[in-house]
Amino acid sequence: MNRGVVYYILGRFLQSVMVLWIIVTLLFLLFRLAPSNPLASYIDINFTKQQEAALLARFGLDKPLGEQYLIYLLNLLKLDLGETFSYSGKSVMDILRADLPNTIYLTLSSLLLAYAVGVLGGIAMAALRGSAIERIGTTFTLMTRAAPQFWVGMLLLTFFAFQLKLLPSSGIAPAVVRYRWETEWDKLLSPVFWRHMILPTFTLALYLHGLPLLLMRSNMLEVLDQDYVTMSRLAGYSEWRVMIQTAARNAMLPVLTALTLGIGYSIGGNVVIEHVFSWPGLGRTLVRAVQQADYPLAQGAFFFIALIIVFMNFIADILYSLLDPRVGASAQAQVS
Amino acid sequence: MTILSIRDLSVNYATQDGTVQAVDGVSLDLEEGQRLGLIGESGCGKTTLLKAIVQVLPRNGRIAGGKILFKGMDLLQLPAAEMRQLRWREIATIPQASMDSLNPVQRVGSQLTKLLRVRGGYSKKAALKRAADLFDLVGLDTERLTHYPHEFSGGMKQRAVIAMALALEPSLLIADEPVTALDVIVQHQILEVLRELEQELNLTVMLITHDISVVAQVCDSVSVMYAGRIVEQAAAEPFFSSPAHPYSLGLQQAFPNLARPRDVLVSIEGYPPDLREPPSGCRFAERCPFVQEACHDIDPKLEAIGDGRAAACLRSNEMDVLRVQSEDPSLWQRVEVAQGLSLAEDGQPPPKSPPIAMKGDLDAPLPATISAETPPSPSQWGEVDDAPLLELQNVSKRFKIGGGLAGLLRGDKEQTVYAVNNISFSLKRGESLGLAGESGCGKSTTGKLLVKLIDASDGEIIFDGADLAGMDDDSLLTFRSRVQLMFQNPFEALNPRFTLYRSLTEPLIIHGWKDENKRLDRVIETLDRVNLRPAEVFLDKYPHQLSGGQLQRVVLARALVLHPDFLVADEPVSMLDVSVRAGILNTTRRLARELGLATVYISHDLSLLQYTCDRIAIMYLGEIVEIGPSDQVINNPQHPYTKALIAAVPVPDPTIENPPLRIQEGIPRPTEQFIGCPFAQRCPDAMEACLTVRPPQITDENEHTAQCHLYGEHRDSPKLERQLP
Amino acid sequence: MQQDAMAREGQSGKPTARFRQGSAIRQLWETNLEVFQRDKMALFGLLIFAVFALVAILAPQIAPNDPLNPLKNNNGDWIKDAMPYWLAEPGEDEAEGYTNTFLLGTTNIGRDIYSQLIHGSRSALLVGFSAAAAVAVIGTVIGLLAGYYGGWVDTILMRAADVAFGIPFIPFIIVISAFFDPSIWNVVIAMALLLWRDTGRVIRSQVLVIKEQAFVSAARVSGASDLRIIFVYIAPSILPLSFLYGSFAIAWAILTEASVSFLGFSDPETISWGYMLQDAFNSLALSREAFYWIVPPGLCIMLTVMAGFFIGRGYEEVLFPRLRRM
Repeated sequence: MNRGVVYYILGRFLQSVMVLWIIVTLLFLLFRLAPSNPLASYIDINFTKQQEAALLARFGLDKPLGEQYLIYLLNLLKLDLGETFSYSGKSVMDILRADLPNTIYLTLSSLLLAYAVGVLGGIAMAALRGSAIERIGTTFTLMTRAAPQFWVGMLLLTFFAFQLKLLPSSGIAPAVVRYRWETEWDKLLSPVFWRHMILPTFTLALYLHGLPLLLMRSNMLEVLDQDYVTMSRLAGYSEWRVMIQTAARNAMLPVLTALTLGIGYSIGGNVVIEHVFSWPGLGRTLVRAVQQADYPLAQGAFFFIALIIVFMNFIADILYSLLDPRVGASAQAQVS
Repeated sequence: MTILSIRDLSVNYATQDGTVQAVDGVSLDLEEGQRLGLIGESGCGKTTLLKAIVQVLPRNGRIAGGKILFKGMDLLQLPAAEMRQLRWREIATIPQASMDSLNPVQRVGSQLTKLLRVRGGYSKKAALKRAADLFDLVGLDTERLTHYPHEFSGGMKQRAVIAMALALEPSLLIADEPVTALDVIVQHQILEVLRELEQELNLTVMLITHDISVVAQVCDSVSVMYAGRIVEQAAAEPFFSSPAHPYSLGLQQAFPNLARPRDVLVSIEGYPPDLREPPSGCRFAERCPFVQEACHDIDPKLEAIGDGRAAACLRSNEMDVLRVQSEDPSLWQRVEVAQGLSLAEDGQPPPKSPPIAMKGDLDAPLPATISAETPPSPSQWGEVDDAPLLELQNVSKRFKIGGGLAGLLRGDKEQTVYAVNNISFSLKRGESLGLAGESGCGKSTTGKLLVKLIDASDGEIIFDGADLAGMDDDSLLTFRSRVQLMFQNPFEALNPRFTLYRSLTEPLIIHGWKDENKRLDRVIETLDRVNLRPAEVFLDKYPHQLSGGQLQRVVLARALVLHPDFLVADEPVSMLDVSVRAGILNTTRRLARELGLATVYISHDLSLLQYTCDRIAIMYLGEIVEIGPSDQVINNPQHPYTKALIAAVPVPDPTIENPPLRIQEGIPRPTEQFIGCPFAQRCPDAMEACLTVRPPQITDENEHTAQCHLYGEHRDSPKLERQLP
Repeated sequence: MQQDAMAREGQSGKPTARFRQGSAIRQLWETNLEVFQRDKMALFGLLIFAVFALVAILAPQIAPNDPLNPLKNNNGDWIKDAMPYWLAEPGEDEAEGYTNTFLLGTTNIGRDIYSQLIHGSRSALLVGFSAAAAVAVIGTVIGLLAGYYGGWVDTILMRAADVAFGIPFIPFIIVISAFFDPSIWNVVIAMALLLWRDTGRVIRSQVLVIKEQAFVSAARVSGASDLRIIFVYIAPSILPLSFLYGSFAIAWAILTEASVSFLGFSDPETISWGYMLQDAFNSLALSREAFYWIVPPGLCIMLTVMAGFFIGRGYEEVLFPRLRRM
């Protein structure tokens, strides 16, 4: 790895830290300066002044804003997100730590499925361009992107869970099963868990496959026009080699970046699917926290999701610079 | 033995507006060891012919008839799989734009070894060895095998592509424009490599190009293509000494030649016929100065005319006479005179501006451009005012790249590019100056400085007494009306969304011409001046409806519509076909004289500058290393760099051998600052003083200045020991 | 070369505008016209929008019942969970004391689903078009400024875009909705605040390309001012791109509004398709297999979103002909 690339990565990292800092600051302002009192849901009408003051002190809300901000930043650095309002005695981190793996399992399994289908489908669509199959295929893909995910989820639920009674309708497992799990491994090795994964994974993948498919298709069409593809035809490589080894390989780069970005955005965007399937993940927790006015939890969940997105955006940049030898070099030339 | 034999080949393209007969009944033979140059301009079907031979025609292309025999096999009858096997093993192709022919995300070496292993059946080890040998063969450092294409310069990429083409020892090599878009010194080196390889490997070569001088340097025989047909076939020597087709005659007369400069270059006016509906007679008839009645009716066949030559012309038996006539430039102008006369014969004077075209007329096809040039030689030009119109004093332009907050975040170190470095010159009214040099030498930046598209970092640019640096809005607007720029690429120089009228009227609107009728009059007058006639027909055309030559005339018209005093022309003809280049240059020259314009031409092409300019300045790494009267600079170059540039220009004459090029490869980065001479690293005559002392500017009695130690007080400094290629 | 020449040939058509009228607005109008003339799917998308717009405008006239008020039978009880009349068992309605004229049945509290569906088109189109307009305008202005002026303007705006890219979209809208009173405008505001990022970046890079083109330099050499260059030369070339992103933004806005309503952060007094689906979900319509309640709102969302996609793709094909399905 040459120095240019190292500097590039370092620069990108600093930039990501700055972006995160700005987001965190915005988040702080949003929650502190909101029109309604953050403790509104907590404070009973029957509370005395002293009780209120004690409560404010407990959450550090009696201090001046600047000091609150510093404490908030320091706590974030320690990943201390405070106490929840609605789950008595539990810290925000406890809740999120339990949610995060579930969200990640769902996101990764559906993304892998979606990108496998999408990349292959995209190559096929590019190869079949102009045919009836291509028209039907792309129209179907457009439909899956246009249909609201939760609605597709509802239809699949109605059909597979309620009408055919083939698959479970909600959650990650019945309570009786869940109690027997002591570690994440127990969960992952449990067939019950995987049965619960099927519908949400499939629903999400159905939605997610559109982006890689359409991206791969248009990249392929673009790459197939490039001189180096003509060159490999002229060099007498077989059509298979031209399509797969030269064209698809080059067309894949932006798709891989999209996959990396997709991990970040899906973790934030799974909210709706987690809601439909009562999947105990970050998104569902966020929705509940907002509904119950549990501000520390909502703020924590939001921070967590933003952290993952910014991190994945950073990884995507790095990945691209490693995969495409031109980026490291052009990053320098670009500036002028 | 005949390697390739093409018989009556026809290729069609299906387009929205009909079938284009891109190649029409072409026959061609290629003997083993022959080096054939296939000459033709854009759209003549030469690249289509190549694509048909290796059968990689685009989807809408179809072979309509004929045979392509390769070593006796009919390629058109061959199954696709067998055809694929032939490619690169038997017929290797260097495609056009081969700069982009390397896969950007794969190391060059692995692309080469992959080719050797997959297509040549080499073992891993043998492939590595062969790859290194091939790199040696084309003059590339074997360390470069592990580099990516973006780390290669243009010339190195071209060498790598040649290495790939030769990897499987093909019996036929077809190269499509192998040196186009390369700098002249690199071009020279690539041609050198090709020539050496031809001899070393006894290659059979078909070289496709628009540049007859390249053919003169590399090929032993010539085929000329025009509008889908072959119009002349000959060995190289007779072709260049006595061309046998009027089109070949015109091409040679249109081509600037440093060794034998012409006073007037010929422009073959008009444009090739529409190949959707080719004319029934001779396809060149419309543009031919020797055209006769019969030419419009009889389609001439390619026929032997002795000496193993063939030409497709009804008057080929009179060719010796015609050739002598063609030496007279006014003959080629007679095309225009004749057309003017035919109008007069109708009893009407040639109308300067016909009445505004009615709506129905607007859809009529565009008339061919008419040219009425009697270009004077530069010395005859109108009175030259002695007070300089433009004066540059120690002008520099630096760009900073990297740095700043964004650069810091990206981890870039700030660097300074010295694009223009301490240049001084002056220009009088009516005078023309050429700026020459390789790409990156700062000539275009200088052009931008002159028209104040960018501002100088140091030094003064004085235009008619006013400093460009300290202009207020009013004087800037006045300056803008007096100074104009003509661009390289006519396809980008006009707003694609504007009609030509809109494009031409914009400068007038900006400068406060409120009366629409006056604007229209001025626009029509200007179009008329640049020979776009009748002007009204062009007014509501969009740029994509015009040919490159016509567009460049519109660009010229826009530059002149405000009647400026000073024009900068940045590579005004480099994107155009050879046959129309001279037309643009001649028009520009004539108008410069008519309007008393001072002109700066920027070009990489010395022969072109010699033709158009009173003086030439040679730039290298942002500095002017030599400046003087054109004939002095070309015929008596002082600076070693100028000498190298002139030696590298290919001459369209196979009997003239270029002097050997004694120059090191590789231009230093423009981010370096030199204590001594910037050219010292590459200079064949470099001395010790060159590395440590700024070279002096030595001027002789002809106002010919060179910035070189060879002529100064350090001329006896010890020579540097170095190996030269 | 050959192909270039032919590509140019292929484009050449008859001049459509008289030279005196080659104004920027006219140019733009022609580009838009070209999109819908060339691309039948884009025209189809436009047709879908037109139909839904008509329905939205005439909703009170078309809808047979009030979408919010429960329908009552002769006894004054809510007509709960009535099947569509074409599915219901004949005679059931009379036994319950009402006449079943409900095309899509009623909800669990006796609201007319068909009337809700018709009224739902209002919020979908309102949100879709206003959010898209906001996104396209903000994105275009930011992209133009950043691309044209460069320097610190560019740095600040593009860092702002980085921040916007780091903020999770749906969670952001949920949080915004929590702080303000439930309203469909929350979605519009949140989209305007975040989604300009994509449009802005693309427009910026396009401006960077156009800015360097010779015809823009030519205008500058002729003395054109910055404003003239931006509005006369650059903007007309990038506006079709804004329309492209605008059309896609319509689609995203409709989808997002549906999602947010489905999660329960919309105004319960405004009927939207997402709200209907939330209603169905929460009242266990799924377990009752009430497809007549679940399917229609989703189909409407899908149709309008696809209309946005179709139009966007129409622009894509005109702007980036390489993608064209040959």
